[in-house]
Amino acid sequence: MKPMLSTDLNAVDTTVEKAKIEVKDLNFYYGQSKALKNINLSLPERSVTAFIGPSGCGKSTLLRVLNRIYELYPKQSAEGQVLLDGKNILDRSQDLNLLRTKIGMVFQKPTPFPMSIYENIAFGVRLYEKISKAEMDNRVELALKRAALWNEVKDKLNASGLSLSGGQQQRLCIARTVAVKPEVILLDEPASALDPLSTAKIEELIDELQAEYTIVIVTHNMQQAARVSRQTAFMYLGELIEFDRTEKIFTSPREKRTQDYITGRFG
Amino acid sequence: MSTASSLHQSRKRKNGVMMALCVIAAGIGLAWLALILGALLYKGLSGVSLAVFTQMTPPPGDAGGLLNAIYGSIVMTIIGILVGTPIGVLAGTYMAEYGRFSKLTTVVRFINDILLSAPSIIVGLFVYELMVRPMGHFSAIAGAVALSILVIPVVVRTTEDMLNLVPNALREAGTAIGAPRWVVIRSVAYRAAMSGIVTGILLAIARISGETAPLLFTALNNQFWSSNLNAPMASLPVTIFQFALSPYEEWQQLAWTGALIITLTVLALSIVARSLTGRREDR
Repeated sequence: MKPMLSTDLNAVDTTVEKAKIEVKDLNFYYGQSKALKNINLSLPERSVTAFIGPSGCGKSTLLRVLNRIYELYPKQSAEGQVLLDGKNILDRSQDLNLLRTKIGMVFQKPTPFPMSIYENIAFGVRLYEKISKAEMDNRVELALKRAALWNEVKDKLNASGLSLSGGQQQRLCIARTVAVKPEVILLDEPASALDPLSTAKIEELIDELQAEYTIVIVTHNMQQAARVSRQTAFMYLGELIEFDRTEKIFTSPREKRTQDYITGRFG
Repeated sequence: MSTASSLHQSRKRKNGVMMALCVIAAGIGLAWLALILGALLYKGLSGVSLAVFTQMTPPPGDAGGLLNAIYGSIVMTIIGILVGTPIGVLAGTYMAEYGRFSKLTTVVRFINDILLSAPSIIVGLFVYELMVRPMGHFSAIAGAVALSILVIPVVVRTTEDMLNLVPNALREAGTAIGAPRWVVIRSVAYRAAMSGIVTGILLAIARISGETAPLLFTALNNQFWSSNLNAPMASLPVTIFQFALSPYEEWQQLAWTGALIITLTVLALSIVARSLTGRREDR
């Protein structure tokens, strides 16, 4: 083990790994109020990164900058740089729809579209690819298998996506996201509305998906962060306090605030 | 102990009084509806015959039917809906989707609410000035335009309300998968709000199918069969208005029958609309 004397927030042991996303000097504003302050971090490719911190610390905001979904709303603005494979996605010239096919997102509450299970998945694929019915059937099946949902729904693909249970709906949303073949998957508290069994299934899924995708997960649940992620970012009041390998954050954090939070002294 | 129980007693009494007042008020409201329906059924049902649906409105003193009036009402209502619905749905879509955070939306919503409660006779006069006077004669098409102006605010309002009920999370999910704005609206928001929007259109049909004032100034009336949109056209409400005020017994009977037909149509549409909304809530 090399001594951890560096105070650089990016001192994660990721030097040998390629950074998929690099956030540089990122500031974010809701109207006048500053929600993210000078964030710098780099997310290694094909691994799970968790954002933790108390409510209102900016972890979801940071996630929502990564696919620029915040632009649906006026008066929200970001400045700084977010590099995806070295290209700044905050650049005006960035095509937002194409960006979002590369960076998928799954939300806290399951959000199946008001259409059949099959169509829920085919919808996203059809947006950017023209493929035959047989190929589409194949894609749908693959995506559902990938999300460990195939066995439960293979006999009712034409049933409404809304007829599934909460946990199944969330896996359908993951399948839908995976089906468009993104490179990065953003998960915004994906299991917080689910029961423990469904949560376990989602976590298992995340573990499998990291072989192919770069995954970022926002979670309120520290045990979950410890279970699924390889590196963890602790945020507080819009600042990135500490970013390191997960076991380091949870066993010997450098910052007292991190220590206080993970031991339950606040938040 | 005794104060608590006397407090309890007085609350119980107040509750009883309030509940009685509410039940009486609800009873009075329902009683009128029952009386109107009862009178219509009693007076109107006896006049229902095949002739009502196959013969034209008669001259005074003769037997006849309401065919031309029923036809005119259907034609003008359909044109009114066909013209008014797309405008209403698109305007509502602007307000709930593209212009959700814009000042213009607040202004449009305010004006739309005024239009929603504007007396329909004013709409009739407006179309009279706009179309009937320049054209030099009354016409079915002017009637249809007047009706479409009444359709628009109803459809705008329900479309906006129903789209606003679609959770933002669903729009975000559509956007997050790479769908452009208009695809999210068409394939996700419209689908989620579909039953509500259809309900609004049905309610608009119900509203205009009973309107008399705007037609008096525009389509006027026609004693004879006419399918010419550029000429005056009969309609059920105006025929009822004319016949009910007349001293001739046959005409009065036809007015009752016509009123029954309109009421039952509106009732049927409302029931369909209600069942659609009900299905939405079940989900």
